[in-house]
Amino acid sequence: MLSKLLTIAYRDLIRNRRRSVFTLIAVAIGLALIITMNGLIEGALEGAMRNNIRLKTGHAQVRAESYPDGKLSLKWQDLIDNADELSAQVNGMSEVKAAAPVLWATGILYTIDETVGLQVYGIETTSPIYDPIREAMVTGDFITDDDRSGILIGKRLAEQLGVGVEQKVSLSVGTADGPPDEGIFTIRGIFSTGNLFYDEHTIFLPLSKAQAFTHTSGRASSIMIMLHQQDDADKVAATLKSPGLATFTWEDLNQLLLTTIQQGMAFYVIMYAIVIMVVAVVIVNTLLMSVFERVREMGILAALGMKGRQIMTMVLMESVILGLAGVVIGIILGSAYVVYLSKTGIYIGEVSASVDVGYGTVMYARWVLANVLSLSGWTFAIILLGSLYPAWFAARLAPVEALHNL
Amino acid sequence: MEVIQLENVTKIYKLGEVETRALDDVTLNIKEGEFTTLVGPSGSGKTTMLQMMGCLDKPNSGVVKINGQDVIRLNANKRADMRRDMIGFIFQFFALVPVLTAYENVELPLLLKGVEKKERHERTMEMLNAVGLSDRVHHRPDQLSGGQQQRVAIARALAPEPSLVLADEPTANLDTASGKQAMEVMQKLNEKTETAFIFATHDPRIVAYAKRVVKMQDGRLVND
Ligand SMILES: Nc1ncnc2c1ncn2[C@@H]1O[C@H](COP(=O)(O)OP(=O)(O)OP(=O)(O)O)[C@@H](O)[C@H]1O
Ligand SMILES: [Mg+2]
Repeated sequence: MLSKLLTIAYRDLIRNRRRSVFTLIAVAIGLALIITMNGLIEGALEGAMRNNIRLKTGHAQVRAESYPDGKLSLKWQDLIDNADELSAQVNGMSEVKAAAPVLWATGILYTIDETVGLQVYGIETTSPIYDPIREAMVTGDFITDDDRSGILIGKRLAEQLGVGVEQKVSLSVGTADGPPDEGIFTIRGIFSTGNLFYDEHTIFLPLSKAQAFTHTSGRASSIMIMLHQQDDADKVAATLKSPGLATFTWEDLNQLLLTTIQQGMAFYVIMYAIVIMVVAVVIVNTLLMSVFERVREMGILAALGMKGRQIMTMVLMESVILGLAGVVIGIILGSAYVVYLSKTGIYIGEVSASVDVGYGTVMYARWVLANVLSLSGWTFAIILLGSLYPAWFAARLAPVEALHNL
Repeated sequence: MEVIQLENVTKIYKLGEVETRALDDVTLNIKEGEFTTLVGPSGSGKTTMLQMMGCLDKPNSGVVKINGQDVIRLNANKRADMRRDMIGFIFQFFALVPVLTAYENVELPLLLKGVEKKERHERTMEMLNAVGLSDRVHHRPDQLSGGQQQRVAIARALAPEPSLVLADEPTANLDTASGKQAMEVMQKLNEKTETAFIFATHDPRIVAYAKRVVKMQDGRLVND
């Protein structure tokens, strides 16, 4: 009997081919749309997280316990004394790919007619931690540890100031004992990471020069750590925890981004819900039309002794066929587009300059199976739920219509 | 043995202030295998009577029994079962399921009844043969003439071997020849089985086939 109900449902959809195809396309496009939205969001967030880890936070860090949260400090008690020793120890751990001390300071760069505030990184220039910057060099050379006056600046900053390689700039940097110190530096190289905010606000100089310049005498703000496996961060952080030292994982260090992600998710859930609702309304409308057109047929079936439950099943089967076909096509379309965008990306350009999270100028989508399945599952479930109404309506209508046939 | 018994059945329709006694204290028994026509002027209550007999509607008062069972107090599902198991309908408009073939239309009540596959097939073919449509088995309703459609409907009504077939003006939309053919098919089937037939009609040619003629006027039986 069930298979006959399915036959009737299927043939009825074929009979109204145009309407069925339209409905099916609506479902497919709706689902493809939210799969694409989701792919872009996932891609953007994952890309931002990856950039932040590569360029700013690393997988883990060790700092002095008193180092202030969310601010820079050059006070001796806030810095790590035995930075080289500690860094060597961390490098010895099997999970660690690279570790290096870093010194952070705020700086102001002057040219004849421009002044720009920056974050100054004193870095161990040979460390693989800075491979991403090395790879991002567009002109000039990377700095070396023994360079006493060289700096690296971002392309965007260079353009803004109208300066190039081997030109000199005046840099003023905060110091441990208070008033900033000023010096003349030579631009050795220019990098472009694609993250416009970063490229505008970051300069590098060798660690030893930075320490001397800021009067911090061999101390470091933090030990930056990159791991072979991102998942080992908790373990490594726990191992390194010792009195006077605080350890952080990439999750701790990207709290801001993570909460932004979570808050953003709530918004997108609403967007998905709206699209799914629209799709469900289209299906419900189609089914109602189909039921209205077939009141006589429903009446005949009721007269033949078909029960309300069976008539409901018949209507629901139409919705299952439309829903399933639409969802499958939607998954294929949406996934294909997301995979395409994960290869080519979307150029977002200047947008990324305004925000201090790691968006590049190109945003890549990301296809996540679990998300695609859950969006499809929800779409299908809501379609079925909505279809209960026309199905129930048909079941109620049928016996009354049976009367009118006689 | 009584297939159907109406005892003091009254059906009142209210439309605003106007009350119509479509059936007024009707008592009527139909026996197994009877071939009965229900005649009377338009509005006399023939269709209403068939609706009561067919478990499609409930009277305001009185008792309706099918094979001895009171059907008025049954719930919707039980009444659907009653229609499925006891009653065949033949409608004025050849009410076939448009997306199903002649074969599938006849098979449908057997499927509803849960008849197993082999028997279902035999029974379906037997009925299509009996109405002279064994060469139109896989035609859809829109590929059949009115007379052929009505014969499919007759085959469908008879396929599950109901106790009672209710037909409301089955020939009203057929030409003379098709109407005659349909009536002859039904008469033959009536002779072969125990099934009782009740026709509501104005058509004197149908009345000629009947063994029993029940006359109605203003919701009452006037002549039996
Ligand atoms: N649903 C309804 N609502 C109100 N009045 C109705 C309804 N159905 C039937 N009636 C009235 O009940 C009376 C009997 O109607 P019924 O359809 O049984 O007559 P009939 O004998 O079948 O007539 P016909 O030969 O024209 O088909 C009529 O007066 C009709 O107007
Ligand atoms: Mg009538």
